[in-house]
Amino acid sequence: MSFLAPLFFLALAGLAIPVLLHLTQREKKQIVRFPSLMFVRRIPYQSVRRRKIQNWLLLMVRLAALALIISAFARPLIERATIPLSVATAREVVILLDASYSMGFGDRWTRAQAAAREQIATLTASDRGSVVLFGSGAEILIRSTAERSRLDASVDAAAPGASATRFAPGLKVAGSILADSTLPRREVVLISDFQRGGWRGEEGARLPPGAVLTPVEVQSPAERPNLSVTGVTLARSSFSDQQRVTVTAGVVNRTEQRVAGSSITLEVGGLTTGTRSVDVEPGGSTSVTFDAVTVSARNMRGTVRLAEDALATDNAFNFVMSPSVPLHVTVVDRGVASAGVYLARVLSIGDTPRFETVTRQGDAVSDEDLRRSAVVVLNDIEVTAALARRLARYVEQGGGLFVAAGSRARWPQEVDLLPAAIGPPVDRTRGDAARVGSLEYGHPVFELFRAARSGDFSSIPIYGYRSLTAATGAQVLARFDAGTPAVLERRLGQGRVLLWASTLDVSWSDFPTKPVFLPFIHQAVRHLAGYSEPEPWLTVGEVFSGSAVTSRGRTGPRVVLTPSGRRVPFDDEGSDVLELTEQGFYELRGEGNQSEAVVAANVDPAEADLTPMDPKEIVAAAGDPGAGPAAGPGGAPMTPETREKNQRLWWYLLCAGLLLLGADTLLSNRMAKA
Amino acid sequence: MAVEIHAIPGARFMDPAVLARIGNLDLVARAVVDGFINGLHKAPYFGASVDFAEHRGYVPGDDIRRMDWRLWARTDRYYIKEYEAESNMNFSVLLDVSKSMDYGSRGITKFDYARILTACLTNLVHRQRDRVGFIAFDNEVVEHVPSSAKHMDTVLHVLDRIKPGRPGGLKAPLHRLAEHFGRRGVLVVISDFYEDPEAVVDALSPLRFRGNDLVVFHVLDPSELEFGFTDAQPFEDLESGEQMPVVPEAFRAEYRSLVRAHIDALAQAFAAVRVDYTQLDTSKPLDFALVNYLNGRARTMRIR
Repeated sequence: MSFLAPLFFLALAGLAIPVLLHLTQREKKQIVRFPSLMFVRRIPYQSVRRRKIQNWLLLMVRLAALALIISAFARPLIERATIPLSVATAREVVILLDASYSMGFGDRWTRAQAAAREQIATLTASDRGSVVLFGSGAEILIRSTAERSRLDASVDAAAPGASATRFAPGLKVAGSILADSTLPRREVVLISDFQRGGWRGEEGARLPPGAVLTPVEVQSPAERPNLSVTGVTLARSSFSDQQRVTVTAGVVNRTEQRVAGSSITLEVGGLTTGTRSVDVEPGGSTSVTFDAVTVSARNMRGTVRLAEDALATDNAFNFVMSPSVPLHVTVVDRGVASAGVYLARVLSIGDTPRFETVTRQGDAVSDEDLRRSAVVVLNDIEVTAALARRLARYVEQGGGLFVAAGSRARWPQEVDLLPAAIGPPVDRTRGDAARVGSLEYGHPVFELFRAARSGDFSSIPIYGYRSLTAATGAQVLARFDAGTPAVLERRLGQGRVLLWASTLDVSWSDFPTKPVFLPFIHQAVRHLAGYSEPEPWLTVGEVFSGSAVTSRGRTGPRVVLTPSGRRVPFDDEGSDVLELTEQGFYELRGEGNQSEAVVAANVDPAEADLTPMDPKEIVAAAGDPGAGPAAGPGGAPMTPETREKNQRLWWYLLCAGLLLLGADTLLSNRMAKA
Repeated sequence: MAVEIHAIPGARFMDPAVLARIGNLDLVARAVVDGFINGLHKAPYFGASVDFAEHRGYVPGDDIRRMDWRLWARTDRYYIKEYEAESNMNFSVLLDVSKSMDYGSRGITKFDYARILTACLTNLVHRQRDRVGFIAFDNEVVEHVPSSAKHMDTVLHVLDRIKPGRPGGLKAPLHRLAEHFGRRGVLVVISDFYEDPEAVVDALSPLRFRGNDLVVFHVLDPSELEFGFTDAQPFEDLESGEQMPVVPEAFRAEYRSLVRAHIDALAQAFAAVRVDYTQLDTSKPLDFALVNYLNGRARTMRIR
């Protein structure tokens, strides 16, 4: 028996009140003055003793009544089996089978399968079983069936995948299966190697009340040496107009045995280009650098591969190399060398990406220039209406425009493209120079400067700027200390326009000589061009987006070729994302089976850390603490009637308490009359 | 009495507690006694000495002045006219003023009740032109008003100012007083008699030695008779100051039987020595006591 509101027992302290009253009242009795105690004295004193005992009886009745009422308020709950034994033995068993790639270590998987079959063999005719494979996600192979042969077949057909271990999704799926079940006994059998990395606390995974979680640990009898490649770094270099990449691989030995003389190879495009030998101490790591390879084509596939060991999956590491594509920038200026020198210098620096700059004067900008350029920079020039219209079209089609508004900057009124109307110049050569403050650090252009000591714009003195009046739809990214906009952005069509209220030379400010100038220009150009660095690889479990890896404006049917050779079509309307589940290369093919993009998928290197944890931790966090492994028929959810029936005791207690109070009244009245 | 105060109708039936509140003993006594006398259809006593009582045959030696000649003329026999006894008697009230009398549970103490009773009796007797006296005693004589026809006011005055205060005892004062009453008379003893019946009778017997008629009123408060207390409390003896814990509910039955036995023993003992004994309850009207007294007087007179 338990109590729903045990705090009410504190009220038992109130039982002391009648006792205290009894005691104190006795002490405070008033003395009765009586003519003579002649007769009273003759009555034996024994009578007094007897009277005291009667009083105690009354007291006990009152105390018992109070105690009963308090117990009633504490809501006693009887826990008992309410289900007939024959029905109560039926079980709903969910076998959670760890299919992370670490299960491929040694003979763990065969042992896990054997354990699963063992569990299936214990199922009786009235039991139902489910098999759930889990890694970073969970997959129900068979749901709630009484056919043991199907369960066995599903276990036989299963194989460890490439994902990492995460217990929570599997437990949640098992919980949902159990929650739907009507059988009284509910069990989860968790077969895993119980890696520490797979459990980060409760993560909201809780089994329904009464469910029993039984962990089955599969560990290899003797640890064998295992190396894993944790990642590669790709160092680019240019050599006589050829791009070369030097691959350096990190190797970790997480076992407690020294590995010596193991070979590691680099494969590019399916051909082995280099082999090295590695020695790694127990628990240690090392790096292996291969000779530089020339990147001649797009989407070159590279793989760093270790020799066979206990766990094969973590031996290979895939990546994709492409020659870096330069970003074309057209700079339009007045043809004065001093005005464009800083900008030209800044754009000549940079590897990711490289900038290819073309400089034009005024209307000399051709359509071809605009077509090739990702970004056009107007460096303090007077723009004619014709050029402005062409630029507006260019921006709407996805181009980027950077406008530096110096003393000569003019923009035709009739073309609505700039984020602000350019007003008269403001001279700050007298008094304090203007400063740039209140930057919009959330914006990609200024995000780089968000952290402390990451560039200080406010230290730059600006002696002259154009007063700007922001247009509708424009976002002010930075302001001068006077409050007028300094940098504004406006989106138009698919493109963006960025307006800087001062010059890009030293005529109006010291900006080009300051350290923040280069990253500001680079970030602005990258942002306007919509440039994003291609990822050389992704991790299994991450999502591969079709639109991210192909160029703008691509249409038509596309299909993804998975490492196992499966073809997954991307339709135009629906989503073009695919969760990576296998290790290897995913290839996106467009019209005519043309390869558009290749994505390398690698397993999570953390999964190679086989450090085990105590399964009890998961049992304690996810299982029902009330249900032990040998729990009896207690798993069925109680109907409201049953619950009410089990709690009904309080009613009787209350009645008994009130009856006792009534009896107490009668008793005391009778005693008073006697 | 300069002004005749007429009887308050029903005063004798009044609750003694109400009478006690009036305060003026003279007024109370007259009110009660007037009402009492008016209410009687027939007086149970024979009045003054001029009143004729009976005839009896002449025997030689009888005073011939008392011969009834008219009867001789009709019957030719000698008869002597007998008159009632000497009515100009001494009447004294002996009032117990011990501390135990100063107890009352229902608005009137036993002492007040006894005082009113004394005043009434004194008033009643004074109207018969008898001599009234008063003695207050506890364990010795406290006040003494000798019997006299003129002492009515003195008695009332003494009654009015006397206060009970000391422990009482019957034997010492009463034995001493017994020597005082040289002339035959009526003695009324009013007390609560908290002594053994034998001791009480022993103390009162000497009062009768000179031929005095003794009337005893035993005054008790209802709670002394019923013991109607409910709470267990310590009780204190008014006279001795002794305290003891008492649980009335358990004591009650036994106490009542003891009190009843005491009263019965007293009644029996007084009856044995031909003393009028009346037990009075202070919750009852005075009427009961007066009737009892007069009945007792009539009876003793007739027995003669």
